[in-house]
Amino acid sequence: MQVYRTHMKIIGDILTTTRDDLPDEQGASITYLIRKANIPHGRISKILGTLVSQGLLEQTSSDGACKYKISSTGRDFLQAYNTFNKFADSFGLTI
Amino acid sequence: MEVFFLESILNLVGFAVGITIGILSYIGFRNTGSPTLFRLTLAFFSIGVGFMIMWLGITLDAYVFDPKEPQRWIQTLGIAVQTLGYFFIAFSHTIKSFFPRSNYLRSVGILPLFLISFISIENVIRSISFILLAYGAIETMMSYFESRRKTAIFVAAGLAMLGFGEFLGWYYFVFPQSILNVVSISIKITGLGLLFIPVTKVPLTKIKFDENL
Repeated sequence: MQVYRTHMKIIGDILTTTRDDLPDEQGASITYLIRKANIPHGRISKILGTLVSQGLLEQTSSDGACKYKISSTGRDFLQAYNTFNKFADSFGLTI
Repeated sequence: MEVFFLESILNLVGFAVGITIGILSYIGFRNTGSPTLFRLTLAFFSIGVGFMIMWLGITLDAYVFDPKEPQRWIQTLGIAVQTLGYFFIAFSHTIKSFFPRSNYLRSVGILPLFLISFISIENVIRSISFILLAYGAIETMMSYFESRRKTAIFVAAGLAMLGFGEFLGWYYFVFPQSILNVVSISIKITGLGLLFIPVTKVPLTKIKFDENL
């Protein structure tokens, strides 16, 4: 049976990639995030826009391309996400 | 008097456990915006408030109203509010597997449980609680097999014990002079204790509460 990721899980995956798995110090490109987080381009663009506007990601420009790094607010969010993901998991639920 | 004492402990423990898990779920919802945590918040606040209403009911019956003519409507209201909480837990496990897949079970369904206890609203609500708790326990156990998170076993066991307690409490109406009520209450208190275990695993000191998120 195919298991679908929730919107929250996708956000968690993107933030985790930008925190733990950056290709260089400038940040991760959209192509890199698409490959790592396994999300189509159309969808990831919207999510990245939201995460930047919420202050969870920082957008930087390098060689004419947009790159993304996790912000300190994003780190706090990710910590809370991981904590409550375990909590919900205890109840057999996914946040 | 012994039963009154036990019921008071059950209801106060239930209130404390329900409200604590509810508050923790609410903090999680405020920090992550997760709809699942919002449903857990509603579920456990309902369960906590339901226990409080039931405690209020038995206390008023013992000290204010005539104990020989208990005000059953307060108990019924408390059980109904609790059942709403159990519904939100079951709902969070998605509705898709709510009804059994077997044709036989589908044809028989859950109707007998309602028919047997149709003598009073309280019994009907208790039977709904039992079904929701059994469903929640099975789904939580299934999720344990996927995640292998040990705390899920405690939650599944807690929900199962609450369900079994409801089941015995339901039979108490059939055999009112038996020890079933005391056993039912003791099982429920143990079940609530098991539900509280995941809360002890949350590192509360590391959580920052951010109003802007």
